[in-house]
Amino acid sequence: MGQDMLATAKSAVEIAKKKGAQDAAGIGRVRRTVEVGWRDGKLEKISEATSRGLDLKLYVDGRYSVVSTSDLRPEGLDAFIGNAIALTRTLAKDPFRTLPDPSLYQGQSKEDLGIADPKIDSIAAVDLRRMAEAVEAAARGVKGASAILSVSSGAATTLSELYQVHSNGFEGNYRDTSFDLFADVSVKDSDGRRPEDGDYASTRLFSELPDPASIGRSASERAMSRLGQKKGASALTTIVLDRRAAGRFVSYLLRPLAASSLQQKRSFLEGLVDKPFGSKQLSFKDDPLLARGLGSRPFDNEGIAAKRFPIFEGGVLRGHYVDTYYGKKLSMKPTTGGMSNLAWGLGTKDGAALVAEVKEGILVTGFIGGNSNDTTGDFSLGVQGYAIRGGKVGEPIGEMNISGSHLQVWKRLVAVGNDPFPYSMGRTPTLVLDGVQVAGT
Amino acid sequence: MPSNHRMTRRQFVEMGATSVAAATAGGFILGCGGAALEKPEVGAGAGGAAAPPSGAGRPTYFARFGVDEGMIREGIAEALSHGGDYADLFFQHRVSNGLQLEDGEVNRAYTRVELGVGVRVVKGDQTGYAYTEELTRDAIKRAARTAASIADGPARPAPQSFKADGGLPQRYTLDMPWDNVKPEQKLPILDGVNAAVLKADARIKKVSVFFADEAGAVLIVDSLGRMAEDVQPMTMMYVSCVAEQNGRRETNGYNVAGRRGFDFYSPEVVGRVVREAVARTTVLFDAVQPPAGEMQVVLGAGSSGILLHEAIGHGMEADFNRKGTSIYADKIGKPIAKPFVNIVDDAAQSFARGAINVDDEGNPAGTTMLVDKGVLATYMHDAISAKHYGVKPTGNGRRQSYQHAPLPRMRATYMLPGPHKKDEIIASVKNGIYCQSFSNGQVQIGAGDFTFYVKNGFLIENGKLTKPIKDVNIIGNGPKVLEQVDMVADDLVIDEGGWTCGKDVQSVPVSQGLPTVRVAKITVGGRSQKA
Repeated sequence: MGQDMLATAKSAVEIAKKKGAQDAAGIGRVRRTVEVGWRDGKLEKISEATSRGLDLKLYVDGRYSVVSTSDLRPEGLDAFIGNAIALTRTLAKDPFRTLPDPSLYQGQSKEDLGIADPKIDSIAAVDLRRMAEAVEAAARGVKGASAILSVSSGAATTLSELYQVHSNGFEGNYRDTSFDLFADVSVKDSDGRRPEDGDYASTRLFSELPDPASIGRSASERAMSRLGQKKGASALTTIVLDRRAAGRFVSYLLRPLAASSLQQKRSFLEGLVDKPFGSKQLSFKDDPLLARGLGSRPFDNEGIAAKRFPIFEGGVLRGHYVDTYYGKKLSMKPTTGGMSNLAWGLGTKDGAALVAEVKEGILVTGFIGGNSNDTTGDFSLGVQGYAIRGGKVGEPIGEMNISGSHLQVWKRLVAVGNDPFPYSMGRTPTLVLDGVQVAGT
Repeated sequence: MPSNHRMTRRQFVEMGATSVAAATAGGFILGCGGAALEKPEVGAGAGGAAAPPSGAGRPTYFARFGVDEGMIREGIAEALSHGGDYADLFFQHRVSNGLQLEDGEVNRAYTRVELGVGVRVVKGDQTGYAYTEELTRDAIKRAARTAASIADGPARPAPQSFKADGGLPQRYTLDMPWDNVKPEQKLPILDGVNAAVLKADARIKKVSVFFADEAGAVLIVDSLGRMAEDVQPMTMMYVSCVAEQNGRRETNGYNVAGRRGFDFYSPEVVGRVVREAVARTTVLFDAVQPPAGEMQVVLGAGSSGILLHEAIGHGMEADFNRKGTSIYADKIGKPIAKPFVNIVDDAAQSFARGAINVDDEGNPAGTTMLVDKGVLATYMHDAISAKHYGVKPTGNGRRQSYQHAPLPRMRATYMLPGPHKKDEIIASVKNGIYCQSFSNGQVQIGAGDFTFYVKNGFLIENGKLTKPIKDVNIIGNGPKVLEQVDMVADDLVIDEGGWTCGKDVQSVPVSQGLPTVRVAKITVGGRSQKA
């Protein structure tokens, strides 16, 4: 299948050039996913499929378009590209739109990223089913399991292959795999509510998945700890973002780091390079070469060779996500247009130790809705979690909200954990923020 | 990018703005332009790449998909080869086009063509699913064989012929369908909007316009011998502005969407988009921080329907109730709101973004009364849950594309007009806020907690709208908030915005609406102390 997609990507670029494009980039993708859902002692769903598609960027007489199709019949492809070129010719010229400078393709890392596990071929739906069953059994094995209304668990494998060809001399491909395991548990509360929580893991290698029983147990414990959840009082207080929840909060810092946001005047981080932004605790790099990282890749979607670069160092802003197009508009050197993995400057204590230090505040374990304004930095987000009382995790709280401005809140980042969350690209550790407005009663 | 199971239980709704952001940030192609960016669902499609013919004559579909009845018969037979109760094939061809204006020029276009077939086999409440983009006899049989493996028994007989229901409603027949519209015809709309926005207010420094249209066709054939076909157009225009005043910047926008054709973009509609985008952005310079804590909240008519979507809509989707995981699981027939509260989920709103002629399981789709005079009336069903509850399907079985099995999903969800007047409602509030526009919301089905994010609103002080407010999340508990709806006006508006609802990693277009409503008490996630 993969070799076909390489041929398709090459042929699409050739057809585009023959039909009048000066340049073109073709990306052929194949993805095979097997997924099993299991619920309350029964198989709920098996889904298994291989999908394929072609993306094509066209540079025609100084004009630009992006087209994609899953209809790869050769006769259709020819007409599709012809129509796309005609469409492109109707647009305005854009002198900033080019393929990347070929020098940026050079210097691909020789490091073994370890993102493709050959073992994936030996794992079938029946294996995933067994894992999902084991997750449920463990979930129902915890103390107090009679409160459980429903356990949904599941497992999935994904194999992706990418074949990329640019008319100015780039050709690359890579495969990656991922293995997923999850459990969601609903429990019955005495007031009629049916709180739910869960746990999951996502890894590049099968051998890195945790024991299914540990996922099941932790999902149940998390759900049962939600029983008796109450709305707390509105207050200005310290919040501890647990490592799994923190990624969502950090994502609002990443959006305005994009060169497109800067150029479009939609970034509260504009003009801050080499200036202090956060507290000394705020340090992370973009690391596309992290071994077995969920965001690791040898090159980005523009074919630019993947390199590590700093974003924040000791609270000072060092770098932006810069793609070729907006880089040209801003006269900034391209880094990459999209985040890979984040590598955090870590502290020395884990989440529990940080909670103990905080004494009084709120431990946030999940966000619900809310949003953040990339232009002004204002945010307002629904939260749930636990009260922190005397350095201990106390009663569950919910139906509450935190709000503030990113321009201030990161200056009050007082501690960072030593516990990066491994099952995400953001790899956030526990984060402790002082003086945050919490709304409740 | 690895699939993310955190999403499996995340129910949310949001504006198309996210899609635009992804497209502009260069994340379009791989959908990986940073963790916070999502691949646009309302994407792109172009001038006529093997564009489907407008659905005049029917059935034209076998030809459209290059398949014949024999292939379908064999596919269904293969799907039932292990003893499944039921099987269906869902063919889809969708061409989506996008044009974007930035820095004064329409300088990028997007096209996406989706073609494929999904095969589903149901055994009890178990589902086997597979799909293929190769519409050949062998590939369809292969997918069917994979899906069939959910069952484990002797083959069941497949129907020998298939019959289309000729009586489907036609809720979005277009005067000017997109297949016949050339890009040159669309460009002046974007250029005109840009010029008008910049002319309207000198503080506007950046304008971005995203224009999308879609011509889609589906064919659903099942093991009961039923066949249904639908042509499903869609369009959306999103305008986003950045304004500057005294060194401060603010962003906002406006968008319109629907199952409409080219003729939708009348001077009146375009003028409204421009006016609203400018007004909603520039008002933010005067906005103050709303207070934090519980207070009275008035929801303006229209997009405030987001309250219903989150507070009750998802919780009334039958799959969550069948599994016992919804907070509404034991509330059918019980009073949950004041007697003047009536809530419907409606497939029949002509030209609405959430309108459908038939659902994605081939079942008729009409108007479903969810709350009747304050009493919980019925859930929203797909075929699996309808069978479980022994009721007729309500036509809520929907899917994102051929790559997904259908689930109970909302269509256009709104509250019917009530006995009060808008002015009377505002005048009744001493200290509170008035919510006017929203960007997104989310709910936890079981606990019932939900949120919606307010982009524009006003403080209410002593019965009058006073200072503007912005960027504030509101958080409540579904059943508790419905009980707290204590005034409903007579001014129902179905919002014209481009809402997209996410559930189980599937996105579908929806609509929502509300008359002006007062909620007696709900938590406002603001930053200043309560008055």
